[in-house]
Amino acid sequence: MATKKKRMPNMQNDSWVVIAADSAIDTQKHDSEPAFVRLRNPVTDAASLYMLSGGDVQLFEVKAFEEDFHSWFVGQTVQRDGRLLFVTPMDPLYLMLPYLVKVGKEGKFQPLDQVVMDEDFPACPRLLSCTRALSSLHHIAEEKEVGGVKFHRYSQEKTMNWLKKKVERTVTVLKARNISVGEGVKSTTYIRVKSESDYHPEDFLRYAHGILSEYLSEDLSKALLKHLQLPELTSPKEPEPPSKKRKLSELPVEAEEDYTKFNSADFARKPPKKMTAAQKSLAKVDKTGMKSMSSFFSPKVKAEKK
Amino acid sequence: MSCNSSVTRVNVSSMGQAQRVPVHLLPCEIEHNGPAQVSQYLTATTKDCKQEKMVSFRGRGLKGQELSCPQGYTGLVLKETNKPGSDQEDRTVKVSSVFDKLTYWNLETPPNSDDTVVMAMDWPELAEAIHGPVED
Amino acid sequence: MDLSPLNRTTLAHVSKKQELKDSKVADSKTLNEVERENLFQKIDESKSYIGWALQILSPNTISTSMLQRTKYNLNAISHDTAIDLVQYALDSGVQLKEVFVDTVGPADKYEDKLSKRFPGIDVTVRPKADSLFPIVSAASICAKVARDRVVKGWSFSEDMGDVEADYGSGYPSDPKTKAWMLKYLDPVFGYPQFVRFSWSTAQTLMDSKGVTVHWDDDDEDGEKGAQRQNNKSMLAYFSASAGGKDQKSTHQTHRFFTERRLKNLDAL
Repeated sequence: MATKKKRMPNMQNDSWVVIAADSAIDTQKHDSEPAFVRLRNPVTDAASLYMLSGGDVQLFEVKAFEEDFHSWFVGQTVQRDGRLLFVTPMDPLYLMLPYLVKVGKEGKFQPLDQVVMDEDFPACPRLLSCTRALSSLHHIAEEKEVGGVKFHRYSQEKTMNWLKKKVERTVTVLKARNISVGEGVKSTTYIRVKSESDYHPEDFLRYAHGILSEYLSEDLSKALLKHLQLPELTSPKEPEPPSKKRKLSELPVEAEEDYTKFNSADFARKPPKKMTAAQKSLAKVDKTGMKSMSSFFSPKVKAEKK
Repeated sequence: MSCNSSVTRVNVSSMGQAQRVPVHLLPCEIEHNGPAQVSQYLTATTKDCKQEKMVSFRGRGLKGQELSCPQGYTGLVLKETNKPGSDQEDRTVKVSSVFDKLTYWNLETPPNSDDTVVMAMDWPELAEAIHGPVED
Repeated sequence: MDLSPLNRTTLAHVSKKQELKDSKVADSKTLNEVERENLFQKIDESKSYIGWALQILSPNTISTSMLQRTKYNLNAISHDTAIDLVQYALDSGVQLKEVFVDTVGPADKYEDKLSKRFPGIDVTVRPKADSLFPIVSAASICAKVARDRVVKGWSFSEDMGDVEADYGSGYPSDPKTKAWMLKYLDPVFGYPQFVRFSWSTAQTLMDSKGVTVHWDDDDEDGEKGAQRQNNKSMLAYFSASAGGKDQKSTHQTHRFFTERRLKNLDAL
């Protein structure tokens, strides 16, 4: 066998394979072009990549499907970077919520353009251009108009009702797509045998809550759990690898959900197939080889059989 | 780490000239960016049997299948032709190719609905549920 | 290129052993191509008491088997095809009394395996059987002739354009074959399926002149690669905080996303 070479870093990546919502790349409506921007992720508080359509009318989220050891053939070229980027529509309220919540603690009504701003993220105020942002703001804030100027104040009650609707919509899709929401370690080698009816309604609610929590601060996520009348689950945490020690965590670590079994990045390979199966399939292939061989010499073989 | 102020514009008008191309997701990392004789080697030797495609690449047996882009979605290949000198400057990418389906390949394993890339295609519909407008 | 091994079987009537001996079939390696062709004609004309069958393993079948995750080695492939061929003879109605086999791997173990698989048949497995038993020599002549014809008449399933047909015998020792291998190396794909990729000559050329390809079951890459990926994502995770203020690191991504290998990006 040849010697295995070390992997070299991919230095000159200049192309990306993307699956994008048609609305993100609609050229008809606006003169300006869509753009990837960096905005504050409400969960991590750090930068994440998003996209704004032409004229900042719509917000999109960018997620990468990434598995190790993958590359693309695109037409007659190789692209080493095997990621597949998804550009999907995003509700701008999720990104605006942290700003409203923060200012809302003061209990005052304020003009939005003084709230949705962030010195670390210059693109932040562009969220206010999104059609959906202003038209749906009443889901998370109370509104007052004084002298033609609108003022807003964060409302936890409204927000919880709004998020509950989101959870319900998500549950519907989870059921429709037959997504496995139950316990049990997921593996590609096991066939999913459970169907929708095997799950408890709470499984779906909890799963949907977990997905939505990808867009919510820890406080909001906990409040939503309460609002959904789901008890908090406490489970023993797996010991963490030393490199992952958390310096900043001020709170005792407590799992909102029992993620521990599922969430550790699983780079495990698929177990090899049984040898017998491989041999069987090989034997099948070989039979055809045998046939073609006899046809290769067919006149003589036939003659012999007589 | 590029600066938060820089944006990457997508030159969508370039979509007019973008070619529709076949795309393949391979179960290996090829340390190369650039031309390859894909149609001559891969396409010409691919065998279709039932739902599954078979081919070999570098002597390894691959099994794959086609996967369509979710409804309302288009596959794009974005390319950055002129990289700016600093990470403060805005960047531009153009649409170099488009596709509406892709072929993904497993190493030896027959393709099935539990393959992660198939599952990843759940995402757009779920995103619609999480992010679509809520009625009053 | 390296189309061997062809598995082969010849069947002779037990009463005709002497005739077979007299026909001077010898170990095919000691013969040149013309002699082999002539002897093949002779064997083929002796239909009244000699029959033969071949099972061709394409280079592609051999490569993909040998390079499989669960390595299926050449010995095992060879044993299985020999078993298939004997079974084929039985299924065709041949009444087998004795079977002579050139060994692949330890002869006694192989003989034991075949005897158990085919009770009632007297199985003899020997190293260098093709120089010991005329019937085995005959088989190897059939195999070599067939191999040469297949190599000469190979039709490429790849779209190779005007590929030079003169690739020689396909044996690594043939300078024509070597020159051809060097000329037709594609940096990404390596070789057409005609070439056995598991063959060390092909491997060495691809390693030195081709683009490097990594698989998740590469011994070194498999573990170190996964480790590296972890490190990489850890780095990305820390560097992400540069854009914000304090990092809230208690969040664990929901399994919907981790199961689908979906993650956020912080830059294009």
